[in-house]
Amino acid sequence: MKRVITLTINGETHELLVKTNETLLDVLRDYLGLVGTKKGCDAGACGACTVIIDGEPVLSCMTLAIRCQNRNIMTIEGLAQNGELHPLQKSAIEHNAVQCGFCTPGWLLSAKVLLDNNPTPTREDVRSSIAGNLCRCTGYQSIEESILAVAEGKVK
Amino acid sequence: MKLPTFKYIEPKSIRRACHVLEEHGDEGQAIAGGTDLMMAWKNRLKVPEIVVDLASIPHLNHIRYSDKDGLRVGALVTLRRLASNPVVKEKYPALTQAALAVGTPQLQAMGTIGGNLCQDSLCAYYNRSPSSRQMLEPCHKMEGTVCHAVAGSKICWGTYCGDIAPTLLVLQARVTIAKGEGKEVFPLSQLYSADGKRPTSLKPGAIVTEIHVPSPAPRSGAIYLKFRLRRTIDYPLLGVATRLTMDSAGTICEDAAVALTAVERTPLLIKEAANARGKKLTDTVVEALAEAAYKQAHPLHNICGVTPEYRKEMVKVYVMSAITQTVQTVTQAGGAA
Repeated sequence: MKRVITLTINGETHELLVKTNETLLDVLRDYLGLVGTKKGCDAGACGACTVIIDGEPVLSCMTLAIRCQNRNIMTIEGLAQNGELHPLQKSAIEHNAVQCGFCTPGWLLSAKVLLDNNPTPTREDVRSSIAGNLCRCTGYQSIEESILAVAEGKVK
Repeated sequence: MKLPTFKYIEPKSIRRACHVLEEHGDEGQAIAGGTDLMMAWKNRLKVPEIVVDLASIPHLNHIRYSDKDGLRVGALVTLRRLASNPVVKEKYPALTQAALAVGTPQLQAMGTIGGNLCQDSLCAYYNRSPSSRQMLEPCHKMEGTVCHAVAGSKICWGTYCGDIAPTLLVLQARVTIAKGEGKEVFPLSQLYSADGKRPTSLKPGAIVTEIHVPSPAPRSGAIYLKFRLRRTIDYPLLGVATRLTMDSAGTICEDAAVALTAVERTPLLIKEAANARGKKLTDTVVEALAEAAYKQAHPLHNICGVTPEYRKEMVKVYVMSAITQTVQTVTQAGGAA
């Protein structure tokens, strides 16, 4: 069963013929080549597939693509603007908060949602915001530092 | 993991949704946030013929409060929205705690209050991939005839693990259930069947549309405590919600409620909490309440993490701790409440 849907991703509109049972994650990766969104557990537990929909952090592996019409989707590819990295991305590099890189797109977007809603988070707020993003290189310390540095205006 | 093939419809009214679901019986599935359904679908534990999207229905997204009427929450309100609502934070902090205890921020942003209440029960012998299920004989929940959690059992022992239900139970919530042309309001406890196979008593075509919580009594407080191995992601190994109303001196308990999750086929409201009414909350009174909860808890080794014996012991510890903390929240609020 297929259906034509319109998705708005990173400000661009895409008209796609998708199956009713396809996840947003598979549509992003396989139809649109937006492979920055990672498929980790594909079971709703690891957060590697996090995208932002209408300002909220959402697991694309647990979302049906057909339910995303008329909604504003942001993937990691939309975080840098006009070729310039987002402060969170610059800070991640500066703080060596990227090791294998698999969790990075997910937590960057979780952190963006945090800072959009709360520009002056505490360390505990930062921890809570990325509580749904597993990092198996155990780089949480540097991830926290990199997010806090942006909140404190140390990286712009 | 591919999802099974299904038809998908977006009804514009509750009546239409009820009708389609009733028509399709067990082959129909309503979807709210979808977080509880997706894994069941991916693992082929459920294979719906038709999926009915409740998000397309208007008027299921409200959060309204008045001192007279209390709190009314549409079934499709996400847990994240519920938790961050200023009135909920102020008047029902236990509800905010419970919502923030569910899964992860992402799952809270997707999952809804109605969906969470209707969450399916869990069992380590059932919630498995198709390949790892192959080695097990089909159990009651798989329409088979055995139970792997309780050897020889003729019934399913799937454990109810929702985080929101115990809190709403102690807050004396009621649910509105739409069916056919009409709707009815029930105490939340009646939503649950105590059947591991199918933990809610909803018949095909019945949909939870609204949750109503009475306004909090003066000098009352509530809390939700969740025991799990990690501070995030995990389902509860045990969840305890308590609500207390104290007298104006802050010494005599005027009303008490205790509820548990993750230790039975249904969320458990501990009726013996009524015994604390009119009494000072001495160690003896609190211990008796904890003992009553302990006796009714029935944790099994179908939930992974720690042993059922440990979880059962923790019932006493968590109930006593929850009561102590609730008393503190009431007395700290002082005469203001």
